[in-house]
Amino acid sequence: MQWWTLFQKELIENVRNIKWIWVPLVMILLAIVDPLTNYFLPQIIDAAGGMPDGTEIQLPEYQPSDVVMMSLGQFNSLGVLVIALMSMGTIAGERKSGVAELILVKPVSYTNYITAKWASLSLLTLTSITLGMIASWYYINLLFGDLSFGALLQVVFFYGLWILLVVSISIFYNTLFKIPGLVAFLTFATVILMGVITSIFAHVLEWSPNNISNYIQQMLVTGSVPSDLIGASLVTLIMIVLLVGGSVFIFKTKDMAE
Amino acid sequence: MEEINSINEIDWTDMLTVIVPMLVIQAILLIAAIIDLIRIERTNGPKWAWALVIVFINIIGPIIYFIFGRRND
Repeated sequence: MQWWTLFQKELIENVRNIKWIWVPLVMILLAIVDPLTNYFLPQIIDAAGGMPDGTEIQLPEYQPSDVVMMSLGQFNSLGVLVIALMSMGTIAGERKSGVAELILVKPVSYTNYITAKWASLSLLTLTSITLGMIASWYYINLLFGDLSFGALLQVVFFYGLWILLVVSISIFYNTLFKIPGLVAFLTFATVILMGVITSIFAHVLEWSPNNISNYIQQMLVTGSVPSDLIGASLVTLIMIVLLVGGSVFIFKTKDMAE
Repeated sequence: MEEINSINEIDWTDMLTVIVPMLVIQAILLIAAIIDLIRIERTNGPKWAWALVIVFINIIGPIIYFIFGRRND
């Protein structure tokens, strides 16, 4: 009951600061920009003056799965950056400005406070990512080739887990530090570092969450869910639970006045 | 002459499917940012500077404003 009230408060706040308008739009833009520029590359080169006579470049033929990867690639870099920047102030900012104290002097449980924030942020990012992938899916069917709606749902489901992990990392740093800029930097740095570690120890860390998008491509090509994707999803889920649990724990033990 | 021909060869209906959604998204971002800028009490830094950023920097301008320009307190 209390949780629901806090959750609604978060939703209303995100409507008021128009995150519900701009985050979905940015994600749609990110999802469609690469598929479109790649499809229209010949025309764009022509319009920009064309190639000198006699040059021949072979433009690759893109399969629908390649195009899905283009959208996911944008999400992996700029999308993560947008999520980190957008979520940097959720708790850190409230603590800095004193709003968190105002809420927490009332008998509000810390668990409810954190999980309500996490849930509203997750809902916003998942909705945005889903809308982005639907836009991408629309263009894939229009310009590149068939991709079934079921395949799209699978992509959104597994990629959504990875995005939830990014949100959880951000919430975790939000409870640790008071400075929003630092939270955004650490969130982004952590995701990058995880990617580096995953590629260095590739043969050991087969179930690393960073591999989820690679396995999604594999899934689209073969048409069946690879077992490594299930493994990576499980690891991701466990990490999400640990991060959210850790956030609540840190928030409880940490001195608010500090 | 050759260049004019190559431009005419562009399939404009194809191009419209690309440009129109982009323009719509850009327009919504711009309008939302402007309305918010008018209604908000204070921003980080002068308001007129944010107005310039929003209007003159394509797509990125409104996003930068939403992330860095708004003050919640």
